[in-house]
Amino acid sequence: MKGILLEFYKIRRRKVWVIILALLGVQCLWGLWAFRNMDAKKLSQGYMQCLYHFSVLNTIMMPMIAAITASKICDLEHKGQTFKLLMTVMPAGALFDAKFICASLHMVAVGAAQMIFIIVLGKAAGFTEPFPPGFLLYYFVITILVTVVILAIQQVFSLMFSNQMIPFVIGITGSFAGLFSLFLPRSMQRGILWSYYGVLTPVRMNWDSQTKIADLQYIPVDWSSFWLLMGLFAVIYFTGRRCFTRKER
Amino acid sequence: MLWKVIYGEQMKLRRSPVWLAFFILPVLPAFMGTFNYLQNIEILKDGWYSLWTQHTLFTCYFFLPATIAVYCSYLFRLEHTNHNWNCVMTLPVSTLHLYLAKLIMASAMVIMTQLWVGVLFILSGKMSGLSGPVPPELTEWLVYGAIGGIVICGIQLSISLIIRSFAVPVGIAMAGGVLGIGALSKGVGAFYPYTLLSLGMRANSPGGSMACSQVQFMAGSLFYLIISAVVAILWLSNTDVTTE
Repeated sequence: MKGILLEFYKIRRRKVWVIILALLGVQCLWGLWAFRNMDAKKLSQGYMQCLYHFSVLNTIMMPMIAAITASKICDLEHKGQTFKLLMTVMPAGALFDAKFICASLHMVAVGAAQMIFIIVLGKAAGFTEPFPPGFLLYYFVITILVTVVILAIQQVFSLMFSNQMIPFVIGITGSFAGLFSLFLPRSMQRGILWSYYGVLTPVRMNWDSQTKIADLQYIPVDWSSFWLLMGLFAVIYFTGRRCFTRKER
Repeated sequence: MLWKVIYGEQMKLRRSPVWLAFFILPVLPAFMGTFNYLQNIEILKDGWYSLWTQHTLFTCYFFLPATIAVYCSYLFRLEHTNHNWNCVMTLPVSTLHLYLAKLIMASAMVIMTQLWVGVLFILSGKMSGLSGPVPPELTEWLVYGAIGGIVICGIQLSISLIIRSFAVPVGIAMAGGVLGIGALSKGVGAFYPYTLLSLGMRANSPGGSMACSQVQFMAGSLFYLIISAVVAILWLSNTDVTTE
């Protein structure tokens, strides 16, 4: 607990939240722009539309938000060359855990803000679709889980390399692959960590090529993909933690 | 003196794997875009032009601006750390040359990336079995795309000079790219720096003319390049350095 509080203490003047808030603002602007002129049909699928669009938007932007947060929280140790000093007062693993929890709490805040925005948008735009608390909660959990797994991989690279270019290139490339994979078969999507916003989204688009009409519908939880993601998280987190604790400073 | 500063920049970047990002990034859309094109060949009927859209659409909007931002952040990180500003600012080098050297280094990387994008596009087209010659407009797309990329370099260098954080300028570029879609849809792409790249490369309308006139495109590019250079030079001349 003390380690986590110390992490918040270290970043108290680094304004990590400013850039997160700015990117969140861009997401909300996109949402407002995308849902500015909704017809009766769109209003009847309002929440589905929101969840579908925000899943795609998360594929583009959330990996970058995770990369920026991880870099801001880890880079201060590289700049200050404080790893050696910190290792004399706390185990390397505890430092890794504290940084991860601190960064994850920021991601939870982003997910919560997104949820609030969707609810407010629904009320303001007058969505006629019945309010779906279960699917919204599922979307909230999935958004945070996928982001936290991506955050884990970003944190490992941000801690292992003092050159912050490397984690950012990994983040951009991953985000890019995730976005592209949304157009690929599902079996290929499941092989790319950054595409899980789309894989686990609670809404699916049905495209009728004959009538050329796209329709949205809720889908049940894809548990096999969910457990695959959890497995990936365990592998990334514990391998990364082990690499970090065994690295000579 | 400018050549000496450029040589200094080259020495700083020697053995640094920064070029790898620009090498890898275009490979991804070339591979996945071509796969997607082949999967949807019955819908995408414009041959080389459809393939170009698959290769460049997302790259220009979101990912190339962010990658350029990473590169520019890296170029200034070398000065921001280890008290290097103290050393740099006492050298008998004008601030204009300091900025221009970095701009030339970043621009060279953008130009090489554009060439690589062109090579991958031709290779992908040939391997996909596309009939017909390579579009004659390809050179124009790449040249205008390079100009748009250089403008982003100028802007990002100024941001990375003022904001000492590595991550924040990358976030700004990402936000800039996303907001650029709004600017393009409103028809003001030529007046917004982050859309000049996608406008120049005709990312969403390769068969037709640019969404703005060439004069507007060049005027917009020149304006943002001059503004970013002026901001950087004024900042370097008037602000005391902060070292870490």
